[in-house]
Amino acid sequence: MSDNTIISTNNLNLWYNEKHALESVSMKIPKNRVTALIGPSGCGKSTLLRCFNRLNDLIDHVKITGEILLDDENIQGQETDVVHLRKKVGMVFQKPNPFPKSIYENIAFGPRVHGIKDKAELDRIVEQSLRHAAIWDEVKDRLNDSALGLSGGQQQRLCIARTLAVEPEVILMDEPCSALDPIATAKIENLIDMLKVEYTVIIVTHNMQQAARVSDYTGFMYLGRLIECGKTADIFEHPKEELTENYITGRFG
Amino acid sequence: MAEKFHAELKTTKKETVAMALFAREMLRTAVDSLIQQDRDLAVSVVARKEKLHEMEVRLEEQCYHLIATGQPMAKDMRVIACSLKVINASMRIGRYGKVIANIVKEISDKPHIARMMSIPHMAELTIDMVDDAIKAYETDSVALISDFSARDDTIDALRHSIFREGITYMMEDPKTITRCTHYIMVARYLERCADHACKIAENVHYMSTGERIEIH
Repeated sequence: MSDNTIISTNNLNLWYNEKHALESVSMKIPKNRVTALIGPSGCGKSTLLRCFNRLNDLIDHVKITGEILLDDENIQGQETDVVHLRKKVGMVFQKPNPFPKSIYENIAFGPRVHGIKDKAELDRIVEQSLRHAAIWDEVKDRLNDSALGLSGGQQQRLCIARTLAVEPEVILMDEPCSALDPIATAKIENLIDMLKVEYTVIIVTHNMQQAARVSDYTGFMYLGRLIECGKTADIFEHPKEELTENYITGRFG
Repeated sequence: MAEKFHAELKTTKKETVAMALFAREMLRTAVDSLIQQDRDLAVSVVARKEKLHEMEVRLEEQCYHLIATGQPMAKDMRVIACSLKVINASMRIGRYGKVIANIVKEISDKPHIARMMSIPHMAELTIDMVDDAIKAYETDSVALISDFSARDDTIDALRHSIFREGITYMMEDPKTITRCTHYIMVARYLERCADHACKIAENVHYMSTGERIEIH
């Protein structure tokens, strides 16, 4: 994998109570690339994704061992400012979850939390974020309308814009298209391709064709272990591991 | 759905083997008709081209259908990619059989010159290569094709030798020009058939291992 690593995990283990959900996961996430995590339900891919911005902290009885380095700093330490971490590592979820506020307020919310109060500066951030999320032209004339009036695909792009507004380095996407129709899905996929110029994207998806289309690198997980990780073309054309082969050719999962 | 896809893929591969064997048989029969000066046998080869074409179109469509509906990955994708190459190579091999059979129709009225030089031997080696390439595809076995580079060199050397020998006969006696030119063309067609067997072999290697090789 590329030397230009932004996140790396080293012998990462995670337990939910007694359940060993991640087993000795060591991987490198290259900067300004799209990395996809694939695998059958319950294989640990979403758990691994949530490790990268410590969302698992919110769950009781979780125990984590091993290292997760973001820009060479271990984010597992107690001294890590989790709010700052989640600013650097934004997240987009399966179902679009805009705040029940106006389109403008959805985007301005994050920058305000981080101390930006100047109206002109907020206006600039809102426009730039909406433009980067390829939704500006569709909403520019109704910024004060409720975000809940947008279509599902538009809401998801709004959520991506909301993530971009706090200028993250990494964007985590957990099945971002699973609630969308094919046209809205195509727009998000195009957007992911554009986003990697400025950001690093890590996407969890059940849709292997989507992983093959949008990602540069793919990791295949099975029963909490990272079985194989490499260039997407290699994984989908000639995987090294039989388990990967069997999964991506639909023989199980 | 995965089971249905894999059943369809298996059927397509089986039918592709059948097409390759059909083409191989066209070549074999054409060579036999040449050696035996059997015009009727040659005519029967030419008549098979319609069925060969029908098989090509049907199997290609089956492959495209599998790609469009199954969105295959990894080995499944490689089997389909290889099958498309086998279909194409089989079409060419069958057609060379037909072209050789057409030559038989032209020259079957007079005895052979110099027992056709090395053509019968070259034909045996070529058909052996076609057989092994088909078998390798059918059984997913790269062992059968590991020596294809050396075998192809032998075929090339035989073609060259037939060319030089043919020129000698033509210089000695201009009345042999038509017949010897046909022999030289047959050698050229056999060499092309061996090249198509090599193409199948390269693709079987990719299908089986995921790695590309080039057989010179």
